[in-house]
Amino acid sequence: MIDYINSNAGVIGLLFFVCVFVGVALWSFSPSRKEQIESYKYIPIVEDEYDPRR
Amino acid sequence: MNKSLAVPEYNDEIVKKFTVASVFWAIIGFCAGLYIALQMAFPGLNFEPYFTFGRLRPLHTSAVIFAFGGNVLFATSYFVVQRTCRTRIWGSRLANFTFWGYQVFIVMAALGYVFGVTQGKEYAEPEWYADLWLTIVWVVYLIVYLMTLTKREEPHIYVANWFFLAFIVTVAVLHLVNGISVPVSLTSFKSYPLWGGVQNAMIQWWYGHNAVGFFLTAGFLGIMYYFVPKRANRPVYSYRLSILHFWSLIFIYIWAGPHHLHYTALPDWAQTLGMTFSIILWMPSWGGMINGLMTLSGAWHKLREDPVLKFMIVSLAFYGMSTFEGPVMAIKEVNALSHYTDWTIGHVHSGALGWVAFISFGAIYHLVPKLWKRKELYSLKLVNAHLWIATIGIVFYISAMWIAGVMQGLMWRSYDSLGYLEYSFVETVMAMHPYYIIRALGGVLFLIGALIMVYNLWKTVATNDDKAQFVS
Repeated sequence: MIDYINSNAGVIGLLFFVCVFVGVALWSFSPSRKEQIESYKYIPIVEDEYDPRR
Repeated sequence: MNKSLAVPEYNDEIVKKFTVASVFWAIIGFCAGLYIALQMAFPGLNFEPYFTFGRLRPLHTSAVIFAFGGNVLFATSYFVVQRTCRTRIWGSRLANFTFWGYQVFIVMAALGYVFGVTQGKEYAEPEWYADLWLTIVWVVYLIVYLMTLTKREEPHIYVANWFFLAFIVTVAVLHLVNGISVPVSLTSFKSYPLWGGVQNAMIQWWYGHNAVGFFLTAGFLGIMYYFVPKRANRPVYSYRLSILHFWSLIFIYIWAGPHHLHYTALPDWAQTLGMTFSIILWMPSWGGMINGLMTLSGAWHKLREDPVLKFMIVSLAFYGMSTFEGPVMAIKEVNALSHYTDWTIGHVHSGALGWVAFISFGAIYHLVPKLWKRKELYSLKLVNAHLWIATIGIVFYISAMWIAGVMQGLMWRSYDSLGYLEYSFVETVMAMHPYYIIRALGGVLFLIGALIMVYNLWKTVATNDDKAQFVS
C-alpha cells in the first residue's frame, strides 16, 4: 500500500486536489445554498450603517 | 447572521501605528526607487561602497514590499478582522509587539543591505539573524490573528479574513523553508543556505513567486474584499465567486514559481509545469478582478464622485492587466525574449505600483478619517490629483520598460549573416539610456503623488475643527 502510494504520489495528489477543488465548487455553487452563502456578503456592510437605497 | 449590533471597543491604536509606519516607509521606498532609477540612467550616482545600485536595490524592494506593503497589510488586517468579527483584537500587547518587532526587522534588514550583509536571494536578502527575528514576529502575528478569529461574535468568517490568513500562513511557510541556512558561526553575519545548486534556485523561486502570490496578491485581495464594498457601500458582487476565487488562487499559485527559471538547469518538465500553472492562473486572477469591479455594477456614478473609490477601481484594472501580462511572459517562447530584460521590471511595476500601491492608497485614504475620527479627508481634490499624477507616472514607467525590454531582448538575440552577435552588450546598455530617463520621470511623478497624499493625510489629522464622531 505504502509502496503503491509512494510510487504514484503525483497522480494521487493531483486527483485528491482536483476532487477537493471540484467539491468546493459544487458545494458553493449549488442552488440550494445560494441564499445562505450570498447572505455573508453583507457582513462588512451591516457592521455599521448599511443603507440599501444608496 | 448575528444581528446583535452592539459595537465593541475596537483597538484602533494599533491600526494607527501601522498606518503611520506604512506611509513613512512608502516615502522612503519610493525615494530609494527613484534614486536607483537615476543610477541606471546616470551611473555616476553610484557611490562606493555603501550607495551602489547593488546595495540600494534590495533596500528599495524591501522598503516598498515589506516595509510599505507589510505595514499596510498589518494595519488593514487588524482593522478588518476586528470589524468583520465584531470583536476587539486578542492580545493587544502582543499586537503591539508585532508593530515594534516588525519595524526592528525592517531597520535590521536595511542596515544589512547598505553594509553589504546579504544572502543574495532576491526578496529574501536578510541574513539568518534577521530571518529568525522575523519568524518570532510573524508567529506572534499569526497567534494574534487566529485568537481574534476564535473569539469572534460573527459566526461566519468573512472572506477578506481568509485571504489575510492564507497570506500569513503561506508567508510563514515560504520564509522558513527558503530561509534555512547555516551561519558560519554564531557571531558571524554570514550564512550559507542548506540547499545547493538548482534545488536552491527552485526553492528560491518557489518562495519568490509566492511572495508575489501570497504577500502582494492574497493579502491585498483581503484589502479589496473589505474596502471596495465598504467604500462603495455595496456588498461584493458574488460571495460564491469569492469562495471559488479564494480556493483556485490558493491551489494554483503555489505551482507557478518555475517560470522564473525557464531555460536554466531546472528540468524541462518542471519548467513546463510552472508555465502551465501560470496560464491557468488567469482564471482566478480575472475571476477576482471581475468580482471586485462588478461590485460597482449599477453604481458606476460613484466613481465620478469619490476619488478614493477610483483609486481602488483603477488598482483592479491594473491587477487585471498585470495578471494578464504575467502568464503571457511565463510562456517559454515569450520568456525567451523577455527574460533578463527590463520588460520584467515593467511588469513587476505595473503590478506593484498599479495594483498593490493603489489599493493601499485607497485603503489608507479610507482608514485615516475613520481612525482619527474625522468626517472626511482634508481634500478629495488632492486625492484626485494624486490619482492622476501617479497614474501618468505608472504609464511612463511601464511603457518605457516595455519598449526598452523588447528592444533589449531583440538586440541580444540578433545575429549577422556570419552568425556573430550583431551588438556588443554595452551597445544594448547605451540604447536603454533614454528609456531609463523616462522611467525615472515616471518615478518622480509617482513620488510627487505620494507626497501629496502625505500632505493631505497630515492636514486631515491636524484639522480638528469638526469634532464629528465617526464610529464604525
